[in-house]
This record gives sequence, structure tokens and C-alpha cells, in this order.
Amino acid sequence: MKALIKVGYGCNDHCTFCHTLDVRHVDAPADEIDRKIDRARALGHTMVVLSGGEPTIRPELVRWARRVAARDMDLGLVTNGRVLSYPAVVAELLALRLRYVYLSLHGGSRTIHNRLVRADAFAETHGALAQLSGHGLDLKVNCVVTLQNVDHLRGVVDAVLPYPDATLKFSMVEPKGGGAALFAALSPRVSDAAARVVDAIEYGLARAGAGGPRFAHGGFPLCLMPGHEHRFADLKTDRFATMIEVGEPDFFPVDDDNKLQPDAACAGCALAGPCPGLYRGYHAALGAGELRPRVGGPRSNSFDYTLEATVRPSPDGGCPVLRIGVTPWDRGRHLFVAHGDRVARFRADSRDFNDAALAEIKHARGQLYLDRSAKDAPDDFARDLIKLTRSPRCAPCPEFARCTGLYEPVADAGFERDDAIVRGWLAALTGDVIDVGCGADDRYDAIFAPAAAAGRLRYVGAEPDPARAAARAAQCAWGEVRTAALDALTERGAYDHVLALRSWNHFPDADRALARLVALARPGGTVIVVDNVAFGLARTPAQTARARAGAAGFEHFRDDDSHAVVRRAAAAGLAVLDHHPVGPATSNQWAVRLRAP
Amino acid sequence: MASLPSIPGELASADVASGVVRLTVREELYPLDAVFAAAFTFIKDCWVVVDRADAAHWAIALTPKAAGADAALLEQWVGGFANELLACAYRHRLAKDHRATVEAVTTAAMAGALGPPSLEELEDFDFSNEAFEDPLGIAMSWEDKYGKKAKAGDAAPAGATDDDDGGAP
Repeated sequence: MKALIKVGYGCNDHCTFCHTLDVRHVDAPADEIDRKIDRARALGHTMVVLSGGEPTIRPELVRWARRVAARDMDLGLVTNGRVLSYPAVVAELLALRLRYVYLSLHGGSRTIHNRLVRADAFAETHGALAQLSGHGLDLKVNCVVTLQNVDHLRGVVDAVLPYPDATLKFSMVEPKGGGAALFAALSPRVSDAAARVVDAIEYGLARAGAGGPRFAHGGFPLCLMPGHEHRFADLKTDRFATMIEVGEPDFFPVDDDNKLQPDAACAGCALAGPCPGLYRGYHAALGAGELRPRVGGPRSNSFDYTLEATVRPSPDGGCPVLRIGVTPWDRGRHLFVAHGDRVARFRADSRDFNDAALAEIKHARGQLYLDRSAKDAPDDFARDLIKLTRSPRCAPCPEFARCTGLYEPVADAGFERDDAIVRGWLAALTGDVIDVGCGADDRYDAIFAPAAAAGRLRYVGAEPDPARAAARAAQCAWGEVRTAALDALTERGAYDHVLALRSWNHFPDADRALARLVALARPGGTVIVVDNVAFGLARTPAQTARARAGAAGFEHFRDDDSHAVVRRAAAAGLAVLDHHPVGPATSNQWAVRLRAP
Repeated sequence: MASLPSIPGELASADVASGVVRLTVREELYPLDAVFAAAFTFIKDCWVVVDRADAAHWAIALTPKAAGADAALLEQWVGGFANELLACAYRHRLAKDHRATVEAVTTAAMAGALGPPSLEELEDFDFSNEAFEDPLGIAMSWEDKYGKKAKAGDAAPAGATDDDDGGAP
């Protein structure tokens, strides 16, 4: 994982959109950077990336590179590359483990690039590409898209095409610093810029060889990048874990606080997990009217925390997280698990969920589990998963709300306890029952079968997948199974009880699904909806690798919790008879029982 | 208690019957370390008690171990203690004033005695902080090169950024 260290804000370019325009005179003392390099090593980082301002104009550059290498870390640079046009400098840095370069090239010609950086820099910056290419570097070329270059992006592609090991990334200008002060003069409409970027990428793909260059984008909502959503890149995809500004006492996790996904536009969008959303400044100025949220499309309902390292326990018995520092650890993405006198550190690099969603699952819902199975995906939660809860040692700590927390495995029969509620409801059912989206799940047959045999209950299972429907039919000779999706069930008022047991989040359209379920029920009948919220699994690297290589695909269209169903029920005028939501003290299964009007 | 002819009565007094002489000195002039040092030189021949008389004074009681001390002998003991105390206080001040010099000289002497540093110790040492060769003057800040300062009104203040993608490197 990378640590980003800002060495100062002085620069030999003067970009129109510079983030740090008002602090360009600030440079960190050399010994401050020395200490931060040492701290990065202590935190377990494997690469230090120096940024600024422009890190290559600092006379200490080579000495810092030597210090990084002496601490067994690789070196990276976020740079305009001008100094790297000197072959001798590149050679020396390569010898000192330079492995990553993020180089800013904003135009494919002297005219365009120099206009944006306000210096005669193109020959040097473009020349640096020739020096850097061919050495096995992770070489990124970043082009900030503004009104001044948005019509010339193909030119940037042409300038990078000779370097197949490079990745050319187009980034939407951020309204910050110069980008905010000159917003109207610099910022194109995001939808226009996205269309030009898509054009440039497709132009490049048509001309690039099999080996590259590759293309990426950042700062654009994914709904505006059709066909190229997977090319999104940011600090996290480049495996930056922490960063530190000049004068800051310790590292902080990289985050996306400068962007947002407006609820009105993005709620329910299938791309919400990995999407960066809009820059807040852009949204404040121009709103979200250009967004085109995608409805439908399956998404994940779990993510992995993969073991990164073990942490030495504090010799005095104190908190091991406090001992190593609170701020460098991401509240949602890092997970410390204590068991006996051992502490393990896990990290989630999932892009299926954004930072806010991960923190919600971890801290508000408390849905973290240790995976003790050898399966690609756990299917018997009660046996496969051990619940992780916040350590009681955290409760009195003044850092409780800020810290990522210390977690402990607990013996908890939450899955059985919460399912007992559902079993109780099902055991009381009589009359005509339809189980919508029944799958091949026989877990409640010990309840249904005797009731059907006794004539108290008539069971109909409906499952759209033919193979599962056939398997279910083989299980329940005492009932009827139809191969049918919810929309194909056109009966009205035919059932005393309508069940959606772990199928709710599989329905593509929640409002439509609720209306269909209610329509199936007789007046005064019940609709029982049970499902699971998303959860995090602490796994070893081998478990994570096995799961990601597995064949399990996404089947959920949403990660609704019970409150989402209750809100819809209230809007539809349905009475809520029972409601069991998810919380830190429960499993991830929720249940709602509604009365049909 | 009897006074002693050669020493002011408010400073010292003698109890001839008990063979004890008592001395009271100002803490401001005689640090406790000096009092201890002076007392230490008398413990072979006298029983010595050091105590605090009040917030600003030390009290010292000397009882010669040899029997039969008269007033004159007691006066000699207390006079001798007063002189030793003065010498100790002075040495204490000299040691304090020259401590840094003494430590520096001592360190240098010990470092010399250890011999030259080994090659292993030099491995982590940065011999220079010199910049790379920059014949074209590229590694010069924009402000230095063009002799300008960014206009105050060029931009609104910018804080820390977590994502450089859309701005300067």
C-alpha cells in the first residue's frame, strides 16, 4: 500500500487549476519529510509517493529517495515530470527503487499544455515520458480536462500513444483552489467533458497496440461513461491508503469527502458503489441534472476484509490501535480484530461499496463476520460465520467515534435467534401460501410439510430460475412449484399469505415488487418480507483469492434494509404488523410482516 | 545554650554539657548538596545531624565523638564546619557553571578513545544533501524563475486535498 507525502507546495509550473494556489510558498522542512518517511514504514506501507507542489524541485529529492529505499520501501512521484527529463536524475531514482510515476500532461502540443501550466514546460514534461517509459514503472499520465483542452483530448492521446507501458487518465477538473476561483472559466459541463473523454479513449483504443497504452478516467460520474465504467481510477484504485499534508502530525486515510452522490439522482443507481459521484463544488454550482442513474443491474451484498498484518500487542496491556495511532486507519476500510493476545489488521479494498456504505455496514449495522469456511461464498451463515463486535474496551475511550475500532469475535447465535422469529411467523400460517422467489431452499420445510399434510396449508412456490424451480419441486411433493418470476404471477387476491423470503433484494424494482406482492394477497392477508443486509467478511488472503476466483455471481439488485420496506409500505398505506430491523446486536437478517389492505 | 565568642549568636550556639554545637545557615547561600558535602567530611569525627530549621534555613548539629569537648573545642568544630561549608558551596557553583564544558570535553575524549566509525555505521549516513545537476534551471519554482508572486486574488484558499486527479500534482 502507498503513502502519499506532500513535501511542500512550491512548483515550477503554475497551473490555472492548481489546488494549492494560496499556499505555494509553503514547503515542509526536510527533517519533517524524513520523519514522515519513517512513520510510513512503521505503519507498514510498502511505497512512499512524494507529491506537492512539485516534489522534484526539492534539493532533498535524492536523499529522500535513498531514505525510502533504505527502509525497504519503493518510491513513487506525483510530478509534472520536467525534472525527469534529465536522464541522469531518472537513472539515479530508478536505482533507488522508483516504481510509480503519476505525471501531469494536459495537452498534446506545446500550445495547449503550456497554456494550462503557464510555463514553457511541454518539451520537458513530454520528454520525461521518453525517459520513464520502458523501465517497468507503473506509469500514469494524468490530463486534467478543462475548457481549455476539452476540444484537444485526442491530441493528448497521440502524444502518449508511443509509450505502451503508460496509462493515460483523463480527470475532470476539480473546483478547488484555482479550479474554484476560476470555475466558470475552467470547468466544462461534466456531461460534455465526459463525452469528449469517451471519444478520446475510444480514439486511443482504436490506435493503441495490444500492449497499450491503457486508458482511464477519474472525477466523472460513471453513468456518464457508458462502456468505460471499469476504467475508473483514483487514489484508492492505485492502492493509496494514507496521505499527509505539510504540517500535519500524522497520516490520514485517503477519502472521497470532496465528492458526493446526490440522493435525489443517485439513490438506487446500480453504479453507486464504485462511482465517484460529482465534485461537491460542481454540484453546488451546476446541480445534478446531467446525471443518468442506471436502474437495474445486480450488485454485491458482501465485501472482504483481507488480512494485511498482525499487530504487536501493547506490552502494558493498553489498546494496540491507540498505541500505533488512530488517524492513519480508515474507519470503514480497516478492521482490527483482537483474539487472545493477538491482534490482526484487515483491510477492505472493495469498490462495490463506497466509503460511506462501508462505514455504515461496519459501525451502524455492525455486520462484520469472520469467515471460517473454505467456501467461495458462505451459504450457512450460522455455521460458516463468527460475528465480530466492537470490543468492550472501546466503550470508555475518548477516541471511540473517531477510531476505526478494535473488534473481537463473539459466540453469538444471532442467525438462529433472528430466524426463530421468522419460523414463529411461518408456523402460524394457514390457508393459501405463496413463496415468491423460493429458490431451492428447503430450510422451512419442517414447518410447511406437516401443515400441508394436515390440510392446514396449501403451499405454492414460485421461482424464475428453471433449474432451481425443478430442484425445489423435487423437494416438496406436498406442494406446488411454478417456474415463474414475480411479474408473471398475475393472480389477484388469491393467497392468504404472501412470502418473500430472501428474495426481496433480488427483485429489480422495489416499488413494483411490493405492489405485486400485495396484489397477490387477499384483503386482510399478510405479506412477509425477509432478507439480509450487506456484510463484511474478515478473510485470509487465500480465502479472498479463492472467493474472487469463484463462480458466485451477484444476484442482488439492492441492499435494502427493513426500513426501506417499511417506508414503501407506509407510502402504500399498508399496516406494519411486525418489524425486526438489523443492528449491531443482531444478525444481518431483517424481517417485516405487513397487512394487505 | 551558650554563645560562641567568634561566631554570631544567631548562627551558632553550643551546649557544652551535652557536647553539642548547632549551626543555622541560609538555604539561599548554601544549597543542600553543599551542606551534605560539608557534613560528609565531618562524619569520621562527629555525629552529624542535618535538618530543615524553617523554610529558608538548614540546621546542622555536630557532636564530637570524643568525650570532654569544652566550649573552645566546640567553637573549633563549628568554625571548621562553616569554612568547609563555604568551600563546598563554591565548588558546587563552579561545577554547575562548567558542566557543559566538562561534558563536551569528556565526550570528545571518549569518542576519540573508541576509534573511527565503522563502515557499517556509515551505511545509513547521508553524506550530502546536494541537489542533482540542473543545467537548464528546471528545478526552480515558478515564482523564482519568473520573478512573480501569485496574485492574492488568483484563487480562493485551498485546503488539503485527498485526490490530486483534478488539480495540480
